[in-house]
Amino acid sequence: MRDVDLLQGTLDLLILKALAAGPLHGWAIAKRIQSMSKDALTVNQGSLYPALYRMTERGLIVGEPGTSNEGRRITVYRPTAAGRRQLQQKIETWEAFATAMQHVIRYA
Amino acid sequence: MREPSVWPITRLTRRLATWLRRDAAESAMDEEMRYHLECEIAAHVERGMSRADAERAALRDFGGVERHKEDARDTRGFTMLDDASRDVAYAARVLRRSPGFAAAVVLTFALGIGCTTTIFSLVHGILLRPLPYRSPGELVALWERNVSRNAARNVVSAASFEAWRDRSTAFDGMAAMVPAPRTIAGVPVERISAAQVSPSFFRVLGVRPALGRGFAPDDEANGGAHVAILSDGMWRARFGAHASVVGRPIVLDGESYTIIGVMPTGFEPPRFGWMSEQSLWIPFGVTPDNKSWGRFLHVIARRAPGVSVESAMADLKRVGAQLASESESNRGWSTNVVALGEQMTGEVRRPLIVVFAAVSLLLLMSVVNVATLVTSFARRRSHEIAVRRALGASASRLIRHQLAQSLLLGFLGALCGIGVALLGGPVLVALLPGDVPRVEAIRIDSTVLAFGVAIATATTVLFGVVAAMRSVSSPAGARVAARLGGFRLIVVEIAIGLVLSVLAALMVRSLVSLRSVDLGFETTSIVAGRVSLPGERYPDAERQRAFFGALLGAVRSMPGVTSASIATTRPFACCAPATVVVDAQRLDENAAGTTDVRFVDESYFATLRVPIIGGSVFAASELRDGPPRAVVTRSLARALWGAENPIGKRVSMKLFGTTVAEVIGVVGDLHLADARTAVRPAVFLSTARFASSERDIIVRGSADAAATLTAIRDALASLDASLPLYRATSLETAVDATIARDRFTAFLLSAFAVLALVLAAVGVYGVFSSDVSRRRREIGIRLALGAGRASVLALVLRRALAPTIAGVAIGAVAALGLARLMSAMLFGVTTSDPISFLAVGMTLILTAGVSTLVPAIRAARVTPVEVMKSDG
Repeated sequence: MRDVDLLQGTLDLLILKALAAGPLHGWAIAKRIQSMSKDALTVNQGSLYPALYRMTERGLIVGEPGTSNEGRRITVYRPTAAGRRQLQQKIETWEAFATAMQHVIRYA
Repeated sequence: MREPSVWPITRLTRRLATWLRRDAAESAMDEEMRYHLECEIAAHVERGMSRADAERAALRDFGGVERHKEDARDTRGFTMLDDASRDVAYAARVLRRSPGFAAAVVLTFALGIGCTTTIFSLVHGILLRPLPYRSPGELVALWERNVSRNAARNVVSAASFEAWRDRSTAFDGMAAMVPAPRTIAGVPVERISAAQVSPSFFRVLGVRPALGRGFAPDDEANGGAHVAILSDGMWRARFGAHASVVGRPIVLDGESYTIIGVMPTGFEPPRFGWMSEQSLWIPFGVTPDNKSWGRFLHVIARRAPGVSVESAMADLKRVGAQLASESESNRGWSTNVVALGEQMTGEVRRPLIVVFAAVSLLLLMSVVNVATLVTSFARRRSHEIAVRRALGASASRLIRHQLAQSLLLGFLGALCGIGVALLGGPVLVALLPGDVPRVEAIRIDSTVLAFGVAIATATTVLFGVVAAMRSVSSPAGARVAARLGGFRLIVVEIAIGLVLSVLAALMVRSLVSLRSVDLGFETTSIVAGRVSLPGERYPDAERQRAFFGALLGAVRSMPGVTSASIATTRPFACCAPATVVVDAQRLDENAAGTTDVRFVDESYFATLRVPIIGGSVFAASELRDGPPRAVVTRSLARALWGAENPIGKRVSMKLFGTTVAEVIGVVGDLHLADARTAVRPAVFLSTARFASSERDIIVRGSADAAATLTAIRDALASLDASLPLYRATSLETAVDATIARDRFTAFLLSAFAVLALVLAAVGVYGVFSSDVSRRRREIGIRLALGAGRASVLALVLRRALAPTIAGVAIGAVAALGLARLMSAMLFGVTTSDPISFLAVGMTLILTAGVSTLVPAIRAARVTPVEVMKSDG
């Protein structure tokens, strides 16, 4: 497990991708990101919740009240249509960025 | 759940909403983090850690909870909003400590915003709001036009109206209107201003009755069926707003009509020309009889889709040409098409715009004053600000403080300003002269409020930003900037003060000119009222003459009555006939222009003190039959016969067919309609010869107007108790009513000028007051070195000279330009009237001088010792 300092935009991308499969609550999102990245990326709480609140405010995700298995009141997040659109866009941007970085590192 | 949008405004509102519900948001955040922690612990435990180890590991990984919460709060914008609310609270505390300053700023600001919003409500209600009809842009008023007689908008003959309506293809509906005053029987007997309108009238406007039905096409048969439609006002006032009124009869001038409908509340009938208040509508139909009456109709029409005003005019021209070839009376007449909106409000457009421009300048001035006040206040607190900076406050922080203060002041000022508008608006509307159109619907509605908020926001931002920038500059720089800024402000204030005062002065002088026009008759101590004899009790000329004769006798015997006369219309009454009068032999139509025709008795000229220039006027025993005799005015005599003696000559006019009368006398010219327009020629015929059932009685009395009117009413009641005296007024009031608009405009402009002068005086005083206190040291030194107090006085005054002169000069140039807007409104005064400019210029210089004098005297009283002592 390695803690990587993630850029804000990348974190948004990860969260949206994590939620693409289905709505999750905060901790589960962090776990999902970890498992999706095969344990390469961990999100720490200090970045996760601010990111979630910011994205809620910008209308990319929506937090709905739900109940946990133990019956606790929790907030479950799911992406909005705008969020899903943003996910696509961010993926395209990231891939373009990654290709550019490749060129710089390998060939420049 | 609906998808939340990403627009910045919604984001902001969402942020604000969350902040306002922060307790709930905080506890939710708390729970979330707590739950996250518990899940971590559970995960660790699952992997085999002990509970205690799991907790330790989880807490360690989690990091500082409070710090995360703080970060989260920051993202949610709580920090920003918290800071903002703290800034506002601090600003409020500062202002509370200086209530004088706060009050001065709020009041000045409220003055500017309040006045501007109120005037805007007038502009919006009268000019900007579309007419309350269907597609009002398509509606037009149609007039006949006679170029040789200089009549651009002449009322229309029934024959022309019929031809236009039936033969023109440019219109999708046309309706005629004519005032129809009627006596309505009942309790009380009242004379109402009804209107006769074509049955298509309401359809042309696109408005339907609220109750019952509108007129049907065959309601115009035989000159008009006996059906009536009530206005909402009449329905409420006389019929108790009962829905059962439809189908009930009413008696108008002794004839029975059936009420078939009631118009909705808020229906504004088109008011222009002679059409004023319309409380009831009855149908009008063209008949062979009224086709011979000459020109008397108002016509409105709706342009067919796609037809422009020009094509409509061209089409009417075509119809007019046909008419001219068919009938003699239409030769030389063409048509005029005017958009209905322009027709109804055109006359007040220019005055309203001038007043709005003036109040906008007043707003500018109030903002300038507020800016001065705020910057001088900031300078007074410069010590405190310096301490804050020393303690570590950043420049941005200080700017934020200043902004918060300005925003708070602006908000309070705007609130008070809107309050002023809400209170002052109805007062102003109540003071409006009676002939201002569309007054009923002037109110402070959402558009006006939005305007008020918009200008308040714009001006707050303006002075807020300026003050904020000023507040953080270094002390030395601030001093220089402030002095230069202050002087520039003086120039602006004096310039605006001059412009507003010039506008007011021009209007006042114009008003004075109007009031001093020689009307050709005396207005003092004269009252007039109208009597209408119902047909069933006074069916013939004999009985009508007898009644009026008896009435005159009764009135003349009343104490305090000097003289009395009857006439078909008194001077300055509406709706009197006019035609072309020619010499009976020469028949030269273009000799005299349109001539007013009045029917008067033998004492008319004596009662009104119209000078008799030649010949004689009607005798008391004027013949009932036989050739009519006429009295002409001097201008008519000159136009028709030059210097020849007019007595004995005969005139011919198109009245009752053609009437030929012998001239027996010449009287001085008189203004019969208003003081503004040039005098028109007039011809007077005898009431004895031409009987009528409706007459104005004009009485000169030694008592006041009310007493004389009571005397007339008593005399009237002694003859026939059922007859009301209506349109009773003193002649002075009637004449004054025609210049009421000018008087009102002059009043408003003068009020603004006075306010501007006060603001300018305050502003100049403020600038020089702070200038003098800043230069105390220099003054002290000068005095110590032997300068006399007078020279110190001169020093301060001299500094005021340059900006004052500059302000006066700039203001004069601006005033010359702006006054040109007023040229159509002025009477007897040019837009560059030197007397006004000189007087105003001197007033401004005097005001600036006095405002500078007070701080100057204070400067001269400075003792060098205390200056040295205080500076140490």
